[in-house]
Amino acid sequence: MRIDYKLNDKFDLGLIIPGFLLFCIGLVAIYSSTLHNPHAAGNFHKQLVWGIGALIAFFIVYSIPTNLLKPAAIPSYILSIIMLIVVLAIGKRVNGAKSWLGLEGLGFQPSEFAKLGTIMAISYFLSRQNTNLESFKDILITLAIGLIPVSLILAAPDLGTSFVFFGLILALLFWKGISTFGLFIVLSPGIVAVSSLFGTYYLIGCLIAVIICLIIFKKDIFFSGAIFALNIGAGFFTNYVYGILKEHQQARIKSFINPWADPLGAGYNSIQAKVAVGSGGFLGKGFLAGNQTQLQFIPEQWTDFIFCVIGEEFGFIGSIIVLALFMYLFLRIFKLASSSKDEYLSLVIVGILSVYFIHLLINIGMVVGIMPVIGIPLPFMSYGGSSLVVNLIMLGVVANVYRTRKNYT
Amino acid sequence: MSEQNFAGNARKSVIYIILVATFIVIFLRLFQMQILEYEFFNDKSISNSIKAIEQTPLRGVFYDRNMHIVVGNVPAYTLRITPAEYNKKLNRTLEAVIGEEPGYIDKILYENRIYSKFVPIRIKRGIDFKAVSWLEENAEHLPGVDYIVEMQRDYPAGIRGSHIFGYTKEISPKLLEKYKDIYKPGDYIGYTGIEKAYENILRGKKGYDYVLVDARRKEIGKFKDGKDDVPSIKGNDLVLTIDEDVQRVAEQELKGYSGAAVAIDPKTGEILAMASAPDYDLSEFSYVTSQDYLKKLFEDPKKPFFNRATQSANPPGSTFKLMEAICALNTNVIDTNTTFTCLGGQTFYGRYFKCDARHGTLNVIHAIEHSCDVYFYNLIYKIGMDRWYEYAKKFGLGQVTHIDIGDEAKGFIPNAEYYVHRYGEDWPKSIMASLGIGQGEVNVTPIQLAQYAALIANDGVTYTPHLVRGYLTNDTKKLVPFSFKQINLGINKRIFNIVKEGMYLVVNGSGTAAGIKSKDIVIAGKTGTAQNPHGKDHAWFIGFAPFDNPKIVVAVLVENVGFGATYAAPIAKKMIEAYLEKDKFQKDEQMEQKNFDNNLMGAKIEN
Repeated sequence: MRIDYKLNDKFDLGLIIPGFLLFCIGLVAIYSSTLHNPHAAGNFHKQLVWGIGALIAFFIVYSIPTNLLKPAAIPSYILSIIMLIVVLAIGKRVNGAKSWLGLEGLGFQPSEFAKLGTIMAISYFLSRQNTNLESFKDILITLAIGLIPVSLILAAPDLGTSFVFFGLILALLFWKGISTFGLFIVLSPGIVAVSSLFGTYYLIGCLIAVIICLIIFKKDIFFSGAIFALNIGAGFFTNYVYGILKEHQQARIKSFINPWADPLGAGYNSIQAKVAVGSGGFLGKGFLAGNQTQLQFIPEQWTDFIFCVIGEEFGFIGSIIVLALFMYLFLRIFKLASSSKDEYLSLVIVGILSVYFIHLLINIGMVVGIMPVIGIPLPFMSYGGSSLVVNLIMLGVVANVYRTRKNYT
Repeated sequence: MSEQNFAGNARKSVIYIILVATFIVIFLRLFQMQILEYEFFNDKSISNSIKAIEQTPLRGVFYDRNMHIVVGNVPAYTLRITPAEYNKKLNRTLEAVIGEEPGYIDKILYENRIYSKFVPIRIKRGIDFKAVSWLEENAEHLPGVDYIVEMQRDYPAGIRGSHIFGYTKEISPKLLEKYKDIYKPGDYIGYTGIEKAYENILRGKKGYDYVLVDARRKEIGKFKDGKDDVPSIKGNDLVLTIDEDVQRVAEQELKGYSGAAVAIDPKTGEILAMASAPDYDLSEFSYVTSQDYLKKLFEDPKKPFFNRATQSANPPGSTFKLMEAICALNTNVIDTNTTFTCLGGQTFYGRYFKCDARHGTLNVIHAIEHSCDVYFYNLIYKIGMDRWYEYAKKFGLGQVTHIDIGDEAKGFIPNAEYYVHRYGEDWPKSIMASLGIGQGEVNVTPIQLAQYAALIANDGVTYTPHLVRGYLTNDTKKLVPFSFKQINLGINKRIFNIVKEGMYLVVNGSGTAAGIKSKDIVIAGKTGTAQNPHGKDHAWFIGFAPFDNPKIVVAVLVENVGFGATYAAPIAKKMIEAYLEKDKFQKDEQMEQKNFDNNLMGAKIEN
């Protein structure tokens, strides 16, 4: 009993068990989806090996002294930026994006590691004693820390990962306590930017909404004007960026607006994914019995569309189990973030949670058709070494904080 | 660093709500997709990955009345291309392999461009074995190219039957539009003859094999191990009424002429043989018909596609006299004692009409025997136009017989009304004299004359002439007969006997066809010569045998040769012999074969 207590005291089974189960379910799904694909036949074994490596990484991070996490922030961030620059220069192109570094035959994605580096750097800045989010300057510095990796990732170009960065920046600012107006300043250009993709009328509508908000906030006229100008800029800049996007990326954005418009083209994945999940029904078609999965209707299903396998072969029940595991894990992490008295650690944990959360939201949202088709992996489950290792390193950070929570809470 | 202010309770709640709300939204969405809309997605998923592959049924074969196969099936190879997987760079190579001109494949692909790119298109049927082995060897370099084995028509009995069997052909876009529930592009359909008339029975029912396909529509395996497959149902075999031997004789005897020969069993209306010359080789139509052959057929002035047995209408000549005799006897206009005197010709309504000879005084029997025109000139005036017309129609002349393969000409029998319309109330009555000997505006088809002969031979009772007895059930091979309409003239047998006596004398007395008198079979008949404004007369002969118990009637037409007895009657005789002296006939054939073999052996020994 005493040992049990001690184990639970130092080692949160509530973190590692859901993570481990999700990894196992992911392995099952990878096995099922690659069984009949000669090009991906070894992926199950590769993922298993990555899993062992990731577990080792988890325990290393778990064991390091917690007080090293803060000084590691700036070096991690700088290392991340360097790797992102290197990958742009010499990286190999996979699926249209230059985001992979060849490392002894194993693919490696610096952008995955950059997530943690950026979380730590922003948390580091925000948890400084004299950082004040009432000041416009500090908001801008925070944004700048985040937007440096984002711009490098967008240059790759990897749209999906940059969304994750926007999300984590926002989450950290919010957790730090940005004012409603500050949030408005940060958020509104983003909303305007997205709205511009839907067409001119949506853009104008959003800009009018921005004006109304500015009137409500009753800030001085020059400041409000500057904010409004920023919004207009964001709208037109997005249109400009959309214009220079690669054709397949434009098609993905278009297909989100109406996936059935081009069912054999860009909308194909989205439709086939929905068909796979919907046709799974309550109990699913059974392991290795999903025709959408087994007949390879969804390209590279083992990466970003792994949730389809669960939906199709294990049905509603299987999907709910996966969702429940994620939700339990997220709430567990959130509880730790809420109870942590150390601002830096609390921010890092919220940052990690936000990364997990955005991945889940975009990935599953994409599969069930409530999000655009943006290629980012489902944490713990999708095939992919760097993603798995980074996710477990981040889980290791969370577990590490839990281990020493009594010192900081 | 304040312990409370970096994450107030309100912010905790916001994050908490965002987290939980997101999961609820995804949960509800999954519930909607997997529970509420399950059927919609399931249908989509099934149609996605299960492909039905059509199984073409075997077409029914034709047996003759003695259960010998006369139209069968043989396997042939068909080259196909699936456009979605095919690379047009292969065109030239493939065209060379199948022996076609450059551009051939492009043309066919273009013609089929409206169909799904994933459905294989037949490029050429009947490719030779060399081409098949080449395809087999190079299969891996030929994406979207394959071949299938399909059954094609075969004519093993050595009879042509061009106009009766008919041919099958790839369905035309027009017919496809009409029958789109039953046929698909590339399906074969009966286009002429029995193939067309009995298409519904012959074609069978398509089957479907369900296979799993991947996202590229590539077959991966059977769906449910074939448990849901629908097997194709073979078309029913037909049992024809024709007799292989009689048909062969008819075809051979007509070779070199233009004409037709029809033989019928008078008791049943079953057509024992029906030939039309010139004919064409049906096996040329089994595969893709060569353009040269088609061109030759279409440009032939003798029109080989024209079925003279049912579509050519000519004056019946003297064969018509039998109808007039029956009409006169049955209406008591004459009896066997009624005579007319032939002085080699006679004047009617100011016009002189000739006879072939001075026959002297004769009654109806001898008038038929000698085919005396004078007798029948007189007779038609006695009968009158109306009764003459009525009896001609009664015998089915000048109207379609409703033979099962259809495509008949009506022919024509004029009546008083017709001449009134043409010449006015006081039309020249001299015309009737010509009608009395079956010339002028009277036009009948060989099948009509055969039916007419059957009615006489069988004393006024027969059935609608037909080529098919029935079909065989697929499992027990039991014959399911078709029923055909009986024709009963309701005329006393006594009257037919009088006319038949005349017909007996035509062959066995000193009549016009004494040349075909046979010592083994008693044949009775009547010759005819149809005047033809475009050239030499057409020769007719109708007859039946044996005299006491008619089992076969024959109507023969030979165009542009002259006198009926010389050309048409011998053909009829040979057909009758082939039918009634089957044993002897077959023995003769075997003897010939033996002699042939002996000669061959002899030749070998000499070497």
